Amino acid sequence: MIPSSPFLCVITDEALCPVTVAELVLKGGAVMIQLRHKSASGSQLFSWAVEIRKLCQKYRALFIINDRVDIAMASEADGVHLGQQDIPANVARKLLGKERIIGVSASSLKEALQAEKDGANYIGFGHIYPTVSKKKEFPPLGTEALQNAANSISLPIIAIGGVTLENAVTLISCGATGVAVISAVSRTDDPSWAASEFVAALKWNNS
Amino acid sequence: MDHNKLKETPLPHLYLISSGQENPDGGTLLLEQLNLLPRTLSCMVQIREKQLNAKQLLTLALKARACALPYGSMLLVNERIDIALAARLDGVHLPENGCYPDNLRPLAPKMIFGCSVHSPESLHLAEKSGADYLLFGPVFDTPSKRKYGAPQGLEKLGQICRISTLPVFALGGITPENGEFCMAEGAYGIAGLSIFKDTSRFVDTLEQFYRIVSP
Repeated sequence: MIPSSPFLCVITDEALCPVTVAELVLKGGAVMIQLRHKSASGSQLFSWAVEIRKLCQKYRALFIINDRVDIAMASEADGVHLGQQDIPANVARKLLGKERIIGVSASSLKEALQAEKDGANYIGFGHIYPTVSKKKEFPPLGTEALQNAANSISLPIIAIGGVTLENAVTLISCGATGVAVISAVSRTDDPSWAASEFVAALKWNNS
Repeated sequence: MDHNKLKETPLPHLYLISSGQENPDGGTLLLEQLNLLPRTLSCMVQIREKQLNAKQLLTLALKARACALPYGSMLLVNERIDIALAARLDGVHLPENGCYPDNLRPLAPKMIFGCSVHSPESLHLAEKSGADYLLFGPVFDTPSKRKYGAPQGLEKLGQICRISTLPVFALGGITPENGEFCMAEGAYGIAGLSIFKDTSRFVDTLEQFYRIVSP
């Protein structure tokens, strides 16, 4: 279900139309899209979700929705991504059934282990490096923490936070299955090209 | 009135909306209100706490569900059907910019779905998508809605009630004094938020309203 390593996940940027971003980065080779928009209304999220789901099916990519299990259920998304402030993964699992994907944000090994226990399918681990996309209350975790988490849990880990073309390969070599980016692709003149550069950088490392 | 065809029990005529001021760590006012509900007085209750994150909202919904409510009462949550399902609530209330009932009905065929409407156009959309009831307001001036402009007034409430095939709850600045006017315009029931915040007068206020809405 989770794409084979190494892969690129793109989280939609709040400042841009998520459907546009999704289509561009899917063309560039992203295999996982996370719709994340904290300020959008339910109806707006639902209509975006229906559109992005179609795009992801066309490109054979996974479509995940941040926080809103309700919207994921209504739009039949492939899954949800849950933060520590969202519905617990074990509750979401009961609502979504066995087949849907549940990802959980973790910023420590403890949180990652708990998510694994709660039935998550993957861990979003970070932020690894300093990031401008989201305000953070704690310093970057660094690659050592990533390596430690990858050694301690069996779930796929998506590394997030300050991922660049230059450091993406390092994250994979530290045990990440994939990387997630927001601004690094969407805040560029050509998000499609930026995504394809990431995919190439990840594959380069693997070959 | 022909309403709520899918459900066995008729909807209560009184509608309590939570204060929107629940403390993430406590959730005391809503639980206090629920525990004060007189045994014989069935009530619609909507948990609407936009300041809470999903985890906190779920915790509050589970605590509310654990309260013994008067027979026939219905416990709903604003917008989030995931919370409603996880806490085994009776329904979901959808804001005008939320999903439509027909987007959600397949996920929970037995749940009650209500819609906030502010115009005949949104009323038609809500009816078409299979809402079970409507919430219309603000009928009168109310501090919580002042930033959105002038209240809708009794006349517009009357228009909505006349064209609606669904039960309409009147909301916004409604008191035991002006509640009768809403019922005279064809409202099915009365909804309130601010007026229920004073727990020392909560039961009194509810009982006064109950006399007005009882058919």
